[in-house]
Amino acid sequence: MKNIKLILCLLGISTSLSVYSLERLSDSSLSGVQGQAGLTIEQSQLLNIGNLSYTDDSNTLSIEGFRISSQADTNAAANRTYTLDVLADGSLKMKTEIEPTQLHIDGIRINNSPASFGDLTLNYEAITDFSIKGMSTGSLEGSFTTGISNAEMIWRTNGNAMSFDNIGYNASIDNFTLEYDATDNTKDFLRTGLALGMNNFAFDFSTGALRLGGKSLGELSGNLALSANTQIFAGGRSKKNEAKEGLTFHSQVNILQDEENKIIFTDYDADGTANSLLMGDFSGALNIDNLTFDVEVDHLAIGFDEVVGSFRAGRILIGDSLKPVGSIELDFMLKDDVANSRYNRLQLYPGIRQPDFDIMPVEIEGYARTFYSGLDSTSEGLSMMTQWNLANAELSYIDDGNRVIISGIESHGSANTTIDIRGQNKLAIGVSDLIGSYSIDGLKVGDNPDAPIQGGAELLLSLEVFQAMDFDIDGFTEITAGGHDSFGDGGGITINGDYFFTNTNIGLSIDENGEGIWATGVSYDIHLRDITFDVASNFYENDRLVAGGLKINRGEQWSTMDIDNLRWGNKVSGRSLGRVVLERFEKNSSLAIIPGGAGAVCIGGSLNSTGDGCSGSNGRFEDRGEQGMTVSLKAALADAEYDAGGEMLRGNRLTWENNRTARPDGEIKGTQIIFDDYSTNDGAGNSDNNYGLQANLNIDVYETKVLKKSDGTDAGGVNGSFGEELIYDQIGTDVDGNPIRGNEYTYIDSAIVEADTPVGAELRARRPLGFAVQGNVSFKELNIGAVQLKHPDIATPETVFYGVVMQNLNLTTNLTATPIQ
Amino acid sequence: MIKIIITFVTLIYSSLSMALEALAEEEMQKVLGQGGVYLSGDITINDNGGPLNVSGATIGDVWQKSCIPTSTDVRCGARIAVNAGDGANSGWLVLDNIRGRFSFEGLTLKTRTIDSGFDGDGVIFNSDVLEIGLPNTVSYGGVSYTLANSSEARPTDSGFSQTDIFSVNINGDVSLRGNLLLFPTGTP
Repeated sequence: MKNIKLILCLLGISTSLSVYSLERLSDSSLSGVQGQAGLTIEQSQLLNIGNLSYTDDSNTLSIEGFRISSQADTNAAANRTYTLDVLADGSLKMKTEIEPTQLHIDGIRINNSPASFGDLTLNYEAITDFSIKGMSTGSLEGSFTTGISNAEMIWRTNGNAMSFDNIGYNASIDNFTLEYDATDNTKDFLRTGLALGMNNFAFDFSTGALRLGGKSLGELSGNLALSANTQIFAGGRSKKNEAKEGLTFHSQVNILQDEENKIIFTDYDADGTANSLLMGDFSGALNIDNLTFDVEVDHLAIGFDEVVGSFRAGRILIGDSLKPVGSIELDFMLKDDVANSRYNRLQLYPGIRQPDFDIMPVEIEGYARTFYSGLDSTSEGLSMMTQWNLANAELSYIDDGNRVIISGIESHGSANTTIDIRGQNKLAIGVSDLIGSYSIDGLKVGDNPDAPIQGGAELLLSLEVFQAMDFDIDGFTEITAGGHDSFGDGGGITINGDYFFTNTNIGLSIDENGEGIWATGVSYDIHLRDITFDVASNFYENDRLVAGGLKINRGEQWSTMDIDNLRWGNKVSGRSLGRVVLERFEKNSSLAIIPGGAGAVCIGGSLNSTGDGCSGSNGRFEDRGEQGMTVSLKAALADAEYDAGGEMLRGNRLTWENNRTARPDGEIKGTQIIFDDYSTNDGAGNSDNNYGLQANLNIDVYETKVLKKSDGTDAGGVNGSFGEELIYDQIGTDVDGNPIRGNEYTYIDSAIVEADTPVGAELRARRPLGFAVQGNVSFKELNIGAVQLKHPDIATPETVFYGVVMQNLNLTTNLTATPIQ
Repeated sequence: MIKIIITFVTLIYSSLSMALEALAEEEMQKVLGQGGVYLSGDITINDNGGPLNVSGATIGDVWQKSCIPTSTDVRCGARIAVNAGDGANSGWLVLDNIRGRFSFEGLTLKTRTIDSGFDGDGVIFNSDVLEIGLPNTVSYGGVSYTLANSSEARPTDSGFSQTDIFSVNINGDVSLRGNLLLFPTGTP
């Protein structure tokens, strides 16, 4: 009886919002009826609801102007057909065919807020198969398949739209269960709820384009298979022993190991060539504890107590399928820290909540006012207040089987964000008071995840990843569809933005206790114009033809980083090297991230003509494999621009100030050395600046040679002689038969390790792992306008050098960098 | 001129004190826990010339040369010209035709706390320093440069003339052991 009630209830829900019309069947139609069992319902549905409300603790979420209609005519009904059968095993089977239908919402408000989240439209057609039957335990189980096609989703704010076009979606659930036996005692009282189980929920999706104002940013598609259990309870986020309305979820998700699991972003060249970013062959798990939804006075509140997850992507491609970047693994735990008032919460507000301009730093205030000009309290959009606390994360990068782990990643903070669609086809994202911090304990290298933490995270500086940072950021970004003109209008992204960091501390080289080299009291003012992102193929980067990669063109950018103190030791009490100010101004710089590392290299010599060894007797040959990553950078440092009074408005300048003391004018100042107005050009004696300063970094994780630097016992208590090589012990072999390194090591005569013998080869396979970087820096001409000295009590600096001209540099490095204790 | 250079160098390191020391492993054990990084490899300058040799055809014939590693052409290396006079009225001090390869094993970078030693100064200092562990051996392969005076910054400038003072070519190994410690001395 319970099951029948539930089935009737479900049917009631599925049809309760519909309007039916019964139509007379013609004789010709009736003549086709051959006495089949079951029931067919043809439904024409035109639904208009002025206001649909959900009330939670007296707060109301209102869905206004809810409409279901035909796509072709919003005043006409949409047609769908239900075919119902009862199968031999007692299952109710229902097939639904939905003809082109439009679902539309005029706006969503909370407690009649003056602004709404904007209007939403979903066009779709679908075929769905659904079967359900009672279980012996008194619950329900069944299976489900659906295919949605020709779908389009549109979000519109203040009359401007962003859309996902041509969506295709296919999903199936081998078996689902719906039970009433879930219990929860997290509020110190027992509550029962609904348990939903899904076994092998597999789906694929594709979008023809993500469009802004009719122009594509690119296409997104993917496949995923997972199994999940979810428990749903009445009552939202509340204190212990307090019953409030709302919803609570607990969920356990397993992403099933399947080589077909993938997400693909595709961007098209001017000639129609598709270029893709692919992350595939992934698996993982996610446990969500106490995920709650509540409607509050002026916002929708979402939060969770804890999310623990693991994720592995076995295949990452950037454009070029012949050179995979490698694979990544991520383990993380987002968890509330009540003692330190750090939570994981998201508050969604209808409309645009503008920041308080009057308390913003003056460096960004004007940009912020301009960004929000034309918007008011009734403007549509989405505002968010976010808090996060990442208690711990471990990120592994695996390159040709060699693993490096970025260990002990922690972060917490909060931010206010607004998102809306603007005229001129812009997606506008404003972030204010992004206040928080992150830190990385260090690196682990090798095959053993339990290896001790080592230093060396400063190696990430080459990728502009800092080891730790405390930050307070205001930033305003406008995104438009379409990348660089040279890649056509098939996709890509263009960004313009203004950002200001204040009260910022940057850990440049620190240990897990936060001791090391810090840039403290940093303010960082950054402005970006016409920055384009494209996934492209067959393009030239730094005079080299690239088969495929991620290409970033930086039209114009200028910034000022003012480091109040460069400290050694603690970030508060460490001794200071002084103040450093770095001003930058670049035009038409670029960056490309290209799959594949260095490949074959000869350290200390030159590669031979066949590329499989060193030329002559000099050097050490290494084949670093196909995987890895290449970062290719061009910095075109522009000539300075001055105002009428001769003050530099934008330019490149490095200032180091030290010995700061209170001066007669009352200010704290010191002596400065100034590298003024440095810039690049093409060395032709004119202003051509196409070559810039170019840097190519081929990055691999590879075995490294570490020699003992003196006789005796080292910091780890291991004895050895000067010049002997550090070799790890072996604790097993991997699936390919390669040795797995342990945590213990010994020092061995380097001649034995280097010998071309089986023993030598076996020892070399147990060398420490580290980053192997093949770098090249070149420029045609790099000028420094003047090198100056400035006494704190004089207005004009004294010039030391009236110019430095550097030309024709081509510097190549082959460096291996190994974290050490 | 010499005064200016000395002043410049002094200013760069004005708030740094440096000490070279050979540190035993036993002493290393007293280092308070910080990790670091061990660097090995090579640095090569203009092995096959620079970018102006590759695409310099439009800039007169000055840089248009074939620059294989064994080439002795004077326009295959990098060039640094410094105007240490009074601007437009003075000539340029030039380091020209800079080429060669430096190879090393075991340059280490780390921070460590100094709270003892140094004839009692360590207790007083009691702060962190940047430790550059020198590589045992640095190999020089075909490292060369020329010191010169020049009338103009660029060899392509109108009226360019240059007088070479001397040229240097270095091949061989240099042994460097011990640590270079950088002491920040600014007020916390």
